[in-house]
Amino acid sequence: MTKKKIIWLFIIVMVIQVLLSFKLEYKINVGINPDTGKFGVWNTHHPTKIQDQVTEEFQPDLYLRNQGIEPTIYGSRKLYEFFQIFSKNGAINAFKLIRMILIIDIVFLAIILYMRRNMGSKPSKRQLVFEMVYGFIDDLTTETLGKQNAHFTPYILTIFLFILSANFIGIVPIPGFMEPTRNLNVPLGMGLVIISVVHYVSIKKSGFKDYLKGYAEPFFALAPINVIGEVSKVISISFRLFGNVLGGAIIMLVVSSLTKYVILPVGMNLFFGLFVGTIQAFVFTILAVSYIAVVIFD
Amino acid sequence: MEGMEFIAKAAAYFGAAFCMGIGALGPALGEGFVAAKACEGIARSPENAALLTRTMLLGQAVTESTGIYSLVIALLLIFST
Repeated sequence: MTKKKIIWLFIIVMVIQVLLSFKLEYKINVGINPDTGKFGVWNTHHPTKIQDQVTEEFQPDLYLRNQGIEPTIYGSRKLYEFFQIFSKNGAINAFKLIRMILIIDIVFLAIILYMRRNMGSKPSKRQLVFEMVYGFIDDLTTETLGKQNAHFTPYILTIFLFILSANFIGIVPIPGFMEPTRNLNVPLGMGLVIISVVHYVSIKKSGFKDYLKGYAEPFFALAPINVIGEVSKVISISFRLFGNVLGGAIIMLVVSSLTKYVILPVGMNLFFGLFVGTIQAFVFTILAVSYIAVVIFD
Repeated sequence: MEGMEFIAKAAAYFGAAFCMGIGALGPALGEGFVAAKACEGIARSPENAALLTRTMLLGQAVTESTGIYSLVIALLLIFST
């Protein structure tokens, strides 16, 4: 009986929220009010145009520039103007990205160190989960690369877990939280690292001379096409992850603002965050393994 | 100059719409074929259902990449003009 009452209350609150938010252009903020310096709840004027919302979410620097807001500079102004040359007002985006990567790394390290301390030959439930994930990736690498190349497992596992947690952290409902993989720099960097590992394995296996000879494979005139093929591997593997995560985030933002953030965002987060995130992390991992396998069994 | 900018923006939006519409056609067909074949495979040997589902999802995710490229280009057209 009480459960039913709670659900009804929830639905009524939702309906009231929808009715209220139709004509209002205000957003409720919770935290320390910058005007009065007190902790509380207050309203700020907020654009309801979808274009503006998307720009605010995905290009905060461009949004601030369009609104005519000058950034506050802490520290030296010369340094700021020096970095302006490379990134035109890209500071906020970079800050958000690096903050999210640091959060993931710290949480990850804390979990791993905690697990290591409590490890035992009689596994607990948490240890079983981690052993399952490790066994899954270990099966993948040993099946694809062979038993003698099992030393690739920790590297592959790290890629998988990093992308998985990076895709999952977007569903945490804290303002400012975003998937680091939403920014092209992260997948591109990971793709470059994977391709460097592939080339390192190739050089180690066949020597530098044969490695260079591999580029002139059928005959010498095709060497540029082979180089383009190597570059396109990076682009293909990184744009797949980036496009999936960014597309999911934009669809989520647009549809949730159309439905006034009622109930539907939960389901969309489940689909785009958990399902697509897992699949894309798995695909990234499998492609990395298969790139290495192509070099090893060439 | 104002009119030219307007025309350029309209052309970019048209381009984005066509890019998504035509670019989503191929991956959709491909993923449909993959799913159909996986259904046949599961009907033939239900004991391999887990492996088949995994392989199907992987194949679909790889097939989807062309659609994702068109999505990226459409986003570029919309947001960078």
